[in-house]
Amino acid sequence: MESDNGAGHALSDFLMQLENYNSSIPEFVVAYYLNASGFESQDQRLIRLIALAAQKYLSDIANDALQHCKMRTNSQVTQSSKNQKGPKEKKYVMTMDDLVPALQEYGITAKKPHYFV
Amino acid sequence: MSENVEKVECGIDARRRVLNLAVSTVLLETGFDSADKMSLETLTEILQCFFTEIGNSARGFCELSGRVEPVLNDIVMGLMNMGISIQGIEQYAARPNRHVVQPPQQATAPRT
Repeated sequence: MESDNGAGHALSDFLMQLENYNSSIPEFVVAYYLNASGFESQDQRLIRLIALAAQKYLSDIANDALQHCKMRTNSQVTQSSKNQKGPKEKKYVMTMDDLVPALQEYGITAKKPHYFV
Repeated sequence: MSENVEKVECGIDARRRVLNLAVSTVLLETGFDSADKMSLETLTEILQCFFTEIGNSARGFCELSGRVEPVLNDIVMGLMNMGISIQGIEQYAARPNRHVVQPPQQATAPRT
């Protein structure tokens, strides 16, 4: 219980720090989607906090996907290293093959659509 | 003809385009060099859903306690309810070399 209170205090202190902060996701876009769902706030800091939380969530997912991607490419490289001289510079490309297992860990089931335009 | 159609779509989905940009920025920051269109769109959709859901849920918590303006706790409750941890968000906010998506320029109407 005490730790909860501590966390609450830390978060409200953190909100103060968001006064002059620019998140990667532009505020006005976040504010639009929030307003569309009925959330209206005059406090820009709250919107920044939501933007930051979303960005962190996204970043966590992307990190998981990157680990999947690295594992996959590493196993491929070891298989095909015999006919290639020297490892070339690796490029990490995000595909659904990496994203789907990463999302699965977060409880999101993504399926490949039959058609994609 | 095809150019025309694309322009119209851009006008409708300007915000989604910005979200797409933001997702790409985050992916680039994470260490990916590129991404295919489908995963990019999936992440954009997730982000869009995230904002709508948190807005809905925070407003719900706010109105439940008889307030009109949402406060910090409503948002925290909303995030908890969605099962999203905000542990370590301060470290994340203070991470080095973060990129910021610039807001798009206001387009000036062409003079005829």
